[in-house]
Amino acid sequence: MSTLEIKNLHVKVKDEPEHPEILRGVNLTVRTGEIHALMGPNGNGKSTMAETIMGNPRYQVTEGDILIDGQSILDLSVDARARAGLFLGMQYPAEIAGVTNAEFIRAAINARRPQDDQIPIMQFLKQLDQTMTTLEMPEDMADRYLNQGFSGGEKKRNEILQLMMIKPHFALLDEIDSGLDIDALRIVAKGVNAQRGPEFGGLIITHYQRLLDYIVPDFVHVMKDGEIIETGGAELAKSLEKTGYSHLKAGEADA
Amino acid sequence: MRELPSTPKIALGRMLRRAPAAAVLPVTVSADAAVTVTPGLGIEAQDGLEDWLLAAAGTAVTVTVPERYAGTTPVEVVGPADGSALVRVVVGPHAKVTIRDTWKTTGEGLGLGVWLEVAEGATVSWLTYDSLAATAVVAQHKATLGAGASLNWTVAGFSKASGASLITTDLIGDGAQATVNVGVLASGVQHLGYTTRMTNYARKSVGHINQRGVITGAAHLIFNGIGHIVQGAQGADNQQENRVLMLASQARGDANPILLIDENDVTAGHAASVTRVYQAQLYYLMSRGLSRALASRLVIRGFLEAGLAEITDRRLKQELFDTIDETLVTTDA
Repeated sequence: MSTLEIKNLHVKVKDEPEHPEILRGVNLTVRTGEIHALMGPNGNGKSTMAETIMGNPRYQVTEGDILIDGQSILDLSVDARARAGLFLGMQYPAEIAGVTNAEFIRAAINARRPQDDQIPIMQFLKQLDQTMTTLEMPEDMADRYLNQGFSGGEKKRNEILQLMMIKPHFALLDEIDSGLDIDALRIVAKGVNAQRGPEFGGLIITHYQRLLDYIVPDFVHVMKDGEIIETGGAELAKSLEKTGYSHLKAGEADA
Repeated sequence: MRELPSTPKIALGRMLRRAPAAAVLPVTVSADAAVTVTPGLGIEAQDGLEDWLLAAAGTAVTVTVPERYAGTTPVEVVGPADGSALVRVVVGPHAKVTIRDTWKTTGEGLGLGVWLEVAEGATVSWLTYDSLAATAVVAQHKATLGAGASLNWTVAGFSKASGASLITTDLIGDGAQATVNVGVLASGVQHLGYTTRMTNYARKSVGHINQRGVITGAAHLIFNGIGHIVQGAQGADNQQENRVLMLASQARGDANPILLIDENDVTAGHAASVTRVYQAQLYYLMSRGLSRALASRLVIRGFLEAGLAEITDRRLKQELFDTIDETLVTTDA
């Protein structure tokens, strides 16, 4: 079992030091085998948290710590964090021409393996083929340039393809459901569910209960004003769908 | 000296002040038997630059692709291993041909030129690959297109040389169409100037320029894009895009789009940018575990790809990618 711990995390935007903190003391522990959902209104720090865990250079940790199995990862570069087991399914994945999807995914897998034990090409292609079939992706998407000209739905599906191929210990999925029709949502959820198991922990950021009908979480957290203000089981998401967020206690900024 | 072509920010006159290095070795041409190669150019130089190039080349060759030629073998022109050279390529009416010219020449103060004439109705796919090892080069590539002719041209500038490169397309015949894609990698202390010119002389002619440049080390790259629609060229279209990516703090890049429009009933446009490396792309690749060095190489490859997308020869493309990788490894070190 592996553990991802977020301890009293305070975060600012690096280029805006005069602005107040976006995260104001977040505490959260995700263990492998668990799926956590993070909900809450727009602009309250959910994406900032995911990006900060991944090491996006835009954000600066001003206080607190992020640890994997008790080891702080704050000093690790983005790629080192990825190799330590983290994966961020992004809201707006970058488009990169000149690099095919297949080539990129193979490079990502090989980055985790020693130089003298790179994944054999046939084994890789077979695995890629199977995973794309599961995600109902057309074959030519393997040979297209990375996210180049992909529709919104294709990009999201491609994030899940990478997730399934790389097999991280911890996946942070930032609004993986936004812009998806109901069929695409079901397929993306199928992919995430296929990863569930004792070696996989997930933190799913979403606005909608809908996704959580397909990926049933073990824990639901609500973030407001840069803090987690409520934690419960899957039923919390259901009740929020009815009541909204406004009745929950306001953070200090609103006081 | 006779008048020189205008090359903003590139001191062409100064470069031509030195005597050109004389030709020492011949140009090699390989093609189908139907394609003929004859010594000499058979045409006059048009301006001071061409005078200089002629003097440099001393001897020159003309390659003729006959009317309605439809052979599948590309015409391969390989520049000499050392010394200046001048090549004229004449493509007959309604011929369809792929041309490739490759330059891996050494020497100092080189002049080289390829002059392409595309007759009416002909279709040419042209790949120019500059991988010059010379120290200072003035290169002129020019194409003139007759009515209904079409040209799809890619210039891969992967030279070690400093100097000026003039890429000129004249749309002479009505309905002529040309696309010029340029991908340039500048490194070390290279000073490179590209002036890519597209002139619509004819009605309903269409000319597009797309230039991409990556600059590392302390190199300086100038992209001039000159789109010119001459009076009388009604219904003409002239578009250009010039993009430069700088990877090092000492790297310098200029993107200068210039549009000269002397006719009303036309469409024209330009886009230009000079940027530092794309942080969002780097971050994305690294978030999947790729090292910064590998991620940078892929981002640069992707940026240049937009200029080199038309290259279908896998071996050449790999050679270009390898050059990018080697250049960046040297830069990292």
